[in-house]
Amino acid sequence: MNHAESTEKPRTARELGLASCHLCLKLSADEHHYCDRCGTALHQRRPDSIQRTLALLITASILYIPANVLPIMYTDYLGRTTESTIIGGVITLIEMGSIPIAAVIFIASVMVPLGKLLTLFYLCWSVGYRKPGNERQRTVLYRITEFIGKWSMIDVFVVAVLVALVHLTGLLVFRPGPAALTFAGVVVVTMIAAESFDPRVIWDNKEALDER
Amino acid sequence: METEISNDHKYSIACPSCDLIYDLSEVPVNSSATCSRCGHLLTQTRENEFLRGVCLSFSALVMMLIASSYPFMQFSSAGLENMMTLPRTVVELWINGMPWLAVIVAAFILVIPSIVLTMILVMQLIMLYDVKTPLVAILGKAIFHLNSWSMVEVFFVGVLVSLVKITKMASVVLGVSFWAYSLFALFFVFTMMSLDRFQCWKKIEALS
Ligand SMILES: [Zn+2]
Ligand SMILES: [Zn+2]
Repeated sequence: MNHAESTEKPRTARELGLASCHLCLKLSADEHHYCDRCGTALHQRRPDSIQRTLALLITASILYIPANVLPIMYTDYLGRTTESTIIGGVITLIEMGSIPIAAVIFIASVMVPLGKLLTLFYLCWSVGYRKPGNERQRTVLYRITEFIGKWSMIDVFVVAVLVALVHLTGLLVFRPGPAALTFAGVVVVTMIAAESFDPRVIWDNKEALDER
Repeated sequence: METEISNDHKYSIACPSCDLIYDLSEVPVNSSATCSRCGHLLTQTRENEFLRGVCLSFSALVMMLIASSYPFMQFSSAGLENMMTLPRTVVELWINGMPWLAVIVAAFILVIPSIVLTMILVMQLIMLYDVKTPLVAILGKAIFHLNSWSMVEVFFVGVLVSLVKITKMASVVLGVSFWAYSLFALFFVFTMMSLDRFQCWKKIEALS
């Protein structure tokens, strides 16, 4: 692996009056409204990055409440119906002795979504209020939230599989609960929130602080 | 001013994470370039990358076809049994009054992955045989718009978790489709890893 050497002294596309296409990475003159190569709408920075991300984060946080309070699955066992929530499912797994699986579900369904929300809130706050800090670390944090976002869907897929697989009428039937949908909503909305955050504003912030 | 820029920066890239400009015209084969300021992986070059892409996406598509047409798992308890296929995961959610969830699951595990894979296969074939066509740019755009919404590997982990949850309740028999889907998930992940955004678009520009 070789580190790419920057051409002469390090310069950003913005300093050169260029905009990088978010889809194909081509550099075009900033005055252009569409990418020269692929025709995608061209922006030097994602428009209203912080505001959009915050709005989506608030939406996701609101959806997160019913996702945890409402049942994610119903179990009809010999005519008796029991409900289980996300946390309830983790506790059941621990009681069954499946500690590793309980850990997987706990990390994917509780820690990842919460961690993602908090990290993105922190990034918006630190950039919005121009807080000095370690930019490289913040960029890595952002890339991690972007990468792990979809892994929270595990619990929703577990519900989908169990509902399709376990259907023994009169004996044992699994049915999906409303939290499965709201939780899928949380995952999708936080994924869009991560996508609307522009990591380059972290570095714009650093450059503005350095000039002071 | 404008022409000067486009000539100077023909193979340049601005780091997607921090906007720093790099000249990537001379990245040797089988190596990678990383941003020195923020650590972002800018590009990765591989020998025979298009042939590799064709083989991987084709294998993944074949596995996908097998996985969606054979029984996935069979569940039985107290003389009753139920067979599950991959499309049933979606149909059952719909029947149980959750059409939106059914649509989301279908999109993430079946529809988007198969569309993306088919497009990657066609695009890599075009690149392998150096066919000059504007189609390649259309495919490239669609692929890079959609690829973050495939959740094949996540679903696979979901299947494993479900298995652990129910093996203690009754007996589960794994079908052909389960093994095909495991391979599909593997080939899918490798296909996605072999797709380098910068190298792809460089080739697309040369072909269209
Ligand atoms: Zn473009
Ligand atoms: Zn960078």
